Amino acid sequence: MLEIKNLHANVDGKEILRGINLTVNAGEVHAIMGPNGAGKSTLSNVLAGRDGYEITQGEVIYKDEDLLDLEPEERAQRGVFLAFQYPVEIPGVSNIYLLKAALNAVRKYQGLDEVDAMDFLSLVRSKMELVKMDEAFLHRSVNEGFSGGEKKRNEILQMALLEPSLAILDETDSGLDIDALRIVSEGVNALRSADRSIVMITHYQRLLDYIVPDFVHVLSEGRIVKSGDKELAKELEKTGYSWVNEAV
Amino acid sequence: MKQLTELATPFASVAEQTTLVEQQPDWLSALRKKALNQFASAGLPAKKVEDWKYTSLWGLAQESFNHSSDEVTLSPADIAKFTLLDDVYRVVIIDGQFKVEYSSVTGVEDGLFIKPLSAANEKLESKLGEQIDLAKPGFNALNTLMMTDGAVIEVANGAKIQKPIEILSIFSDSAAHLAAHLRNVVTLGEGAEATIIEHYVSMSEVVTLTNVVTEVSLAENAELHHYKLQQESEKAFHIATLAATQAASSQWHTYNVSLGAALARNDIHSRLLGEQAHVTMDGLYIVNGEQHIDNHTRIDHAVPNTTSSELYKGVLDDNSHAVFNGKVVVHKDAQKTDANQKNQNLLLSRGCEIDTKPEMEIYADDVKCGHGSTVGQIDEDQLFFFRARGLDEKTARNLLTYAFAAEVLETMPSTHIKNAFTAVIEQRLPRGGE
Repeated sequence: MLEIKNLHANVDGKEILRGINLTVNAGEVHAIMGPNGAGKSTLSNVLAGRDGYEITQGEVIYKDEDLLDLEPEERAQRGVFLAFQYPVEIPGVSNIYLLKAALNAVRKYQGLDEVDAMDFLSLVRSKMELVKMDEAFLHRSVNEGFSGGEKKRNEILQMALLEPSLAILDETDSGLDIDALRIVSEGVNALRSADRSIVMITHYQRLLDYIVPDFVHVLSEGRIVKSGDKELAKELEKTGYSWVNEAV
Repeated sequence: MKQLTELATPFASVAEQTTLVEQQPDWLSALRKKALNQFASAGLPAKKVEDWKYTSLWGLAQESFNHSSDEVTLSPADIAKFTLLDDVYRVVIIDGQFKVEYSSVTGVEDGLFIKPLSAANEKLESKLGEQIDLAKPGFNALNTLMMTDGAVIEVANGAKIQKPIEILSIFSDSAAHLAAHLRNVVTLGEGAEATIIEHYVSMSEVVTLTNVVTEVSLAENAELHHYKLQQESEKAFHIATLAATQAASSQWHTYNVSLGAALARNDIHSRLLGEQAHVTMDGLYIVNGEQHIDNHTRIDHAVPNTTSSELYKGVLDDNSHAVFNGKVVVHKDAQKTDANQKNQNLLLSRGCEIDTKPEMEIYADDVKCGHGSTVGQIDEDQLFFFRARGLDEKTARNLLTYAFAAEVLETMPSTHIKNAFTAVIEQRLPRGGE
């Protein structure tokens, strides 16, 4: 599904990613953990294609294509989904308009017709149940006036609708209380499948109690310094990140 | 105030308008004489006049204009192309003349009176010129001197008019170098309600001048929804004054959408003279190419307990230039005034320019006043969000531009009118890709 080879990336001339290697197979859930400044958000932004990152070395292969050669929208159309750490508010564009436009963009790439209005509505309703969102949210502007938890649920709603092959969850647990964390996690768990890979980027072990990963990687100073299973996360929780840098 | 006399060149012939000046009745003749003297001495405003600092009339001064038009015949289909809504009372003005035969102003609801300016003189003596300041240099004097037609609309005490009234001004194919000096006079009695849409269009891309003054008077508890849509030729000059006095508990809701013309200038003025009176001034301007749009608004809070809210938004592309000057004056003793003003601009190119100047003059001490203006570009985070959801960059930019503008449409209370305006805006700012 995804193969990251020796990835180096600069921001404003400063090297943030310093040789990342990671292979994610279909159906796997990987957690990438690390202290602040380790390069977690840079990695998710580079994978999604945000401007402002200079790739100096390495490559990222996604479904046999060079991912870094694609525009952000081309990545999305091919099934890469980034759940944002800070979902942006978009006054004047309703949620339902966004959902429909996004779904149709994927369908167009897949050679399918635009979704029928009635089919779309019943599809969206079923996905909204998954994240326990009220239908009123469909007609509100995207994320405008949403609470932190509502914004994150809205991200998972988009993911549920678009059914990506590769979902990157960037600090999805940040700013969530326990109830919201549970709803979001249940939504993500329901989307786990044999042909969908998930990369969770998180600072805290807490999220991994709810979404149990197959693999855990520790990112430090732009490199993956340790990989293991879910037990590694528990170890980190006990000892903190201080040992990580010493171990390098 | 010294004026550039050469600016009056396109109107040099107005000094010879003796037929208009001598026109009966006597009070009208006297009014026109006063206007003639004023215009002859002051001419058109030059850029050194503070109110015209950012808007040059040099381009206008290079043109020449005729002030009367030949009779033209349009087909119903010609007119239907421009009508905004079907179910309205419609005043059709073609090349500056109120055309009763094209209009639908008979058999109207009880309490509504719609007549051409030229046929309503006896009603106007006390009203004509009441809302404007003839002493200011420029177009109001010219309009007073030259006005030949327009709509006179009166709504009787307590009458709540259901259908909107559309004043549709069309420049025909033969309107090149025609100036239309229009005067509308709108009077709402106590507790009266009405909706008016001023709509300005051109049939072809020719140089024209609209010089319109609309005077509004609202009695106690009257409520007027006042829409304006200006879509004239991109070679046109459009100069408009819209001025109202408002008695206690009256409401004037204005929505001013400006898309057309090479140069458009709106002066919108409300005087809140009775307690609990409210004015809404919302506006949207979308300009590109070499277009120039200037909106000057002024709200006088003259007595305690009045409110105003103002939102003007602009979308500028290419080498266009927009000016926003919003003045709110809270007079001495106008305590408990609540005034809120916002001007927001979205710049889509490097070549465009906005001069925005919110002004508040506050002479009372117990008031709630806020104002702010912003100038920005498409937000990169919003753009990336859409692209990360699969929308191509052009579609995402269009969608964000449309969404920015649509906030003004959202404030329109009538769904029918909002939908009609939305359809027009969507043509100018397509929501999707190509």
